[in-house]
Amino acid sequence: MSRWPVVAGQETRDLWVGRGPALMFGYAVLLSAITYLAATNRGLNFLEQREAVNLVLQVAMTVGVLVTLLVSADTISGERERGTLESLLLTPVGRRSIAIGKLLGALSLWLGCVVVSLPYLWVIGRSVAAVRPAVLIVLLAGTLVTVAVAGLGLVISGLSSSNRVSLAVSLLVLLVLFAPTQLPGMAKSWVGDLLIRVNPLGSTMEFASRVILSRHDWRNELDYLVAPAVLAVIVAVVIVVTGNRLVRLG
Amino acid sequence: MTVFALLASVLLAAGPTVTLDPQSASVTTGQVVSFESVITNPGPGPTQKLVAHLNVAALDGHYVDLEDWSGDVTKVVEPMPAGKQTTIEWEVQAVNSGEFALYVSLIPTGGRGTVIAGQPMYVTVAARHKLNSGGVLPVALAVPGFWAAVTAVAALRYRRTR
Repeated sequence: MSRWPVVAGQETRDLWVGRGPALMFGYAVLLSAITYLAATNRGLNFLEQREAVNLVLQVAMTVGVLVTLLVSADTISGERERGTLESLLLTPVGRRSIAIGKLLGALSLWLGCVVVSLPYLWVIGRSVAAVRPAVLIVLLAGTLVTVAVAGLGLVISGLSSSNRVSLAVSLLVLLVLFAPTQLPGMAKSWVGDLLIRVNPLGSTMEFASRVILSRHDWRNELDYLVAPAVLAVIVAVVIVVTGNRLVRLG
Repeated sequence: MTVFALLASVLLAAGPTVTLDPQSASVTTGQVVSFESVITNPGPGPTQKLVAHLNVAALDGHYVDLEDWSGDVTKVVEPMPAGKQTTIEWEVQAVNSGEFALYVSLIPTGGRGTVIAGQPMYVTVAARHKLNSGGVLPVALAVPGFWAAVTAVAALRYRRTR
C-alpha cells in the first residue's frame, strides 16, 4: 500500500511549523516592494498598466519557483546530512513513497506562494481587468513549471553527495533557465523563439506576456506550456522509476 | 539696395512661426499638461510640408527622456497657404520635478530649409510623492504583516513543544 500521503502530510506539517511561514513572510515583503514600485511607476506613466501586472506576475512566479526549488533541493540531501534519513528509512514506508511524499510536501510551499500572490495580483490588475488571466496563469503555468523544477530539484538532491552541492547545482540550473528570459527580442527570430519554447521557464514567461500584455486568448497560447509539461512528466517518471536509488544513505 | 529689394528679401526669408499657448505652467509630478502650438505662415507663398516636433529640456541641464513625458511628439503639418495658421494640440505628463522648457520645432521635409523653433513654454513641476499609488499600500503592508504574525506564532509554538 502506498504511503506517500502520510509522508506528504508529515513533510507539509514540518515545513509549515518550521521555515514555511518565514519563507512566506520574505516572499510577501518582496512582492510588496515590487507591487508598490510597479504601481508608483504606473502612476508616473513609466510603466503601462498591463506591464505592471506582467511584472508582478512574473516576479511572483519566478520567486515562487525559486523558493520551492530551494526546499525540494534540500529534501533528501539535507536529511542525509542532518542524519535523519536513516530513521526515516527504518519506517515501513517505501523509498519511492518517501520521494513522492517529499516532493508533494515541497509543492505545498508553491500553494502558499499562490495564496500570498493573489491579493497583489488583484490590487495591481483590477483596473485593467487582468486579475482573472493573471490568476489563471499562476495556477496553470506557474504550477506546471514549479512541479517540473521542484521535481528536478528533488532528483538533484537525491543524486548529490552533499546538501551544498545539491543547492548549488539546483540554483545553477534555475539560473541557466532564467537567464535567457532577460535577453530582449528573443521571440523575434526563429532561433530565439525555439530557445524560448524549449526552456520551461522561458516559455512560461512568454505565455504570461502574450496573455497579459498582448491580450491573446490563453487557449491559443497553450503550446508555450509544452516544455514545462514535458519536463514535469519526465521528472515525475524519473522519480517514480528511480525513487529507490534517489533515497539512499550515501 | 533699394527699399523694394530689401523688403522682398525680408519677406522671402520669412518662414513659418510657432507660438505656444499657454506660455507657462506650474504643475506637480504626474499631472498632465495640455497646451497648443499655433503655427503661422507669414510669408507670401505656401509653406512646404513640415514636421512639428515637441521637445522637453530640463533647465538644470539634466537629461530628460522625452518618451517618459509623451509618446506622441511628432506631428505632420501640411503645406499652409500664405497668411494661414494651424493649431496643434499637445499633451504631456510631467514625470520629473524641476524647471523645464517645452518647445516645438518645425522641420522642413523638402530637403531644404532650416529648423525653426518657437518661444518655449516654461513649466515648473513640483515634486509630489503619492504614498498610496493605485491603492496598493494597504495590501503591501497587510500581507507581510499577516505572515510576520504567523511566523511569530509558529516560532513560539515550536519553542513550547521543544
